[in-house]
Amino acid sequence: MDLGLTEAQELLKTSVADFVQREYDKNTLLALERVPTGITPDLLRKVAELGWLGVVIPEAYGGEGRSLTDAAVLFEELGRGPVPGPFFASGVLGALVVQHGGTEAQKQAILPPVARGEWILGVAVTESDYGWRPEKLHMHASMEHGHYVLNGTKLFVYDAKAATHLLCAVRTGPASNGASRGISLLLVDASAPGVSVRTLPGWMSQVDEVRFDNVQVPADAVLGAVEGRGWESLETAALQAIPILCAYQVGSCQAAFEMAVAYSRTRIQFGQPIGRFQRVQDHIIGMVNHLDAARWTTYEALWKLDSGRPAASSVHLAKAVTSEAHLKVCDGAHEVHAGVGVIREYGLTLHTQRSRTLYPLLGEARFHRRRIADALGW
Amino acid sequence: MDFEVTYTPEQEAFRAEVRAWLVDNIPEGLEQPVDPGDLSLEQYQKLRELGRRLGAKGWLFPTYPKKYGGEELSVDFVMIVEEELDRYSLHLPPYYDSGGRLGGASIFVWGTEDQKQHFLPPIFRGEWRTWQLLSEPNAGSDLASVQTRAIRDGDDYVINGQKIYIGSLHGCEMMWTIVVTDPDRPRHENLGWLMIPYGLPGITVTPMELLTAGGEGGASPGLKHTVFFDSVRVPAFNLIGGENNGWRVATTHLELEHGGGGIIRRNRVVDQFLEYCTTTKRNGQTLSQDPDVRDDMVEVFIKNEILRLFGLRTYWLSHAHKPRSYEGPQLSYWRKTQALEIAEIILRAVGPYAMTDDAQWGPLNGLLEHYQRSAVVGLHPGGTTDIQKVIMARRIGIGRAEREQAGRLR
Repeated sequence: MDLGLTEAQELLKTSVADFVQREYDKNTLLALERVPTGITPDLLRKVAELGWLGVVIPEAYGGEGRSLTDAAVLFEELGRGPVPGPFFASGVLGALVVQHGGTEAQKQAILPPVARGEWILGVAVTESDYGWRPEKLHMHASMEHGHYVLNGTKLFVYDAKAATHLLCAVRTGPASNGASRGISLLLVDASAPGVSVRTLPGWMSQVDEVRFDNVQVPADAVLGAVEGRGWESLETAALQAIPILCAYQVGSCQAAFEMAVAYSRTRIQFGQPIGRFQRVQDHIIGMVNHLDAARWTTYEALWKLDSGRPAASSVHLAKAVTSEAHLKVCDGAHEVHAGVGVIREYGLTLHTQRSRTLYPLLGEARFHRRRIADALGW
Repeated sequence: MDFEVTYTPEQEAFRAEVRAWLVDNIPEGLEQPVDPGDLSLEQYQKLRELGRRLGAKGWLFPTYPKKYGGEELSVDFVMIVEEELDRYSLHLPPYYDSGGRLGGASIFVWGTEDQKQHFLPPIFRGEWRTWQLLSEPNAGSDLASVQTRAIRDGDDYVINGQKIYIGSLHGCEMMWTIVVTDPDRPRHENLGWLMIPYGLPGITVTPMELLTAGGEGGASPGLKHTVFFDSVRVPAFNLIGGENNGWRVATTHLELEHGGGGIIRRNRVVDQFLEYCTTTKRNGQTLSQDPDVRDDMVEVFIKNEILRLFGLRTYWLSHAHKPRSYEGPQLSYWRKTQALEIAEIILRAVGPYAMTDDAQWGPLNGLLEHYQRSAVVGLHPGGTTDIQKVIMARRIGIGRAEREQAGRLR
């Protein structure tokens, strides 16, 4: 038993923290919140050089080939920013979908440019009948003259605006096996005629609507070269990707918690630091309890995945706990900060926005709670 | 990271040794009642016999030095002893001896070599069972305001006062307490920490009936007592940590009592509740097939998983000698508050069955009924949930730049 990070992980953590501090100061983060891609070409080049877009991609495909826990250490530090951009969509979820669903030739074609940051993947699954279950997928791809033709709308696609390529889940055959069969993942060039990406306005960032209007996709773009089995690849990839997303949220929770503690020491009211008031302390203690619950459920799930243990119930547990913890930690930070917390330039709302925006990604807490019961065979 | 102990061949050999030893040494006819308050004197004596046998082997308090009765085992070996005992629903120590666990640690940290030689071996060998005497009628959460006095008179201290919520069903050999040794000194600098033999003249012990009759199950709340001291003379040798230094000695056992040692045991009530729901049929379907009960089960599972991880995290910090801060009191806070919430979810899921230990209708031999009570009683021992939060706040440094340090365990 050893619940500490390895030396290599500590080193990674420090180097990511240094980079984020140097390249992502608060003004940059505030500006990037309103940039539809969440990243600039200059930053993209730098992070690609560091290998962060290929952190879980095997070395054979040009990636870093690091463990999921290593990737989580990276993402926890990104979450502290919180650093936006297609790190998760492309480098983790997209890359893992290709790894689990692609043919050898597809992996060799797709993963190296993804690791180099030349390609950015977006994963387009959900639609207007929102949800992360196969029965929520309705968009159909028809086969005409040797290629697929796509018509329809994918909604709430994360980081589509940054994507050069979309992994698009569509129905290519009749639904069976609880609707999970019949879904294929097509690799679609985001610049293909008929693809239009529109970033959704409001209190979310880097979440898009993707419209497909008679988009022609070559027949060999189906991942795995077999139709109808895309959902399985997606589920396998999601199981590994979810705890890395959770780690990002843990980092964001950690940052919000530290902001609240610092503020409790410096903000004077009634002649003393507000942190001397037990009602204020209660908010911060609630935050650290949520933070630690998120942290340890997340890292245990990662350990189970990395060590080849059955991990499904732990992954669902981590997602259910962490996504709610992220909301509650930010709530607590706002209780402590009051007016200052909602001044945009203070920076807390970056975390609050992320906590809400990421909440439904890959399934909201209620969905994962139910999956716990299924995974435990109740 | 590694959330599990990986065993070397040497450790697996040790496991085989422990397993075989337990088969030979667990006293015949040992039975554990569901409600520890039902533990008979005869059964208690069997547990004490097991404690003495473990103690003779060095396994009762296995991490401590051999010269004091320990076996100098590392955490991974101790876990093996705990796991093997757990197969019998037993643990270290196998009866209520939090006085020995907490007091032993305090003497180990703060005692002189002579005091360690004198007091530690009988505790660590299971010859003494020890009660801790902390609360008083007017000193609960504000423990440092105790009023019981021990005034130096020649080679003795003379104790007068009253302690409450003490002990368990079947008596003890030794007690320890914090008392005022100098009423003229300022708060926190006026206390002494004393070891007191149980049978001294002037000590009167009267029972207090609480919501759980509890008794001898580990540190679980039990039948408690009021202990009166009427001019009880104790040798000055028994003062641990020096004159007026009792509050600092107390930081060691308070740290442990506030959860600083961690927990690695399974929560049997939760395990059995979940199994009960998947196996008990009402109107042709199992409880777990009812969507509402299923949601309740998940809620209990999540709370308990977080509790397990907080316990494991704190256990690792403590046993791997890592820096500790707010984690112990956080574990204590979480354990107490979540036990109460879990008890209420169980009541919701199971219904009034959870409130009876009737032989025909009470589930799990009355385990759930007992839990309804013990979850309420469990809120206060070792510091209320509010006290845990106060300590957390100080250690996190909320509203203060200087962070309070955790109590010494070594």
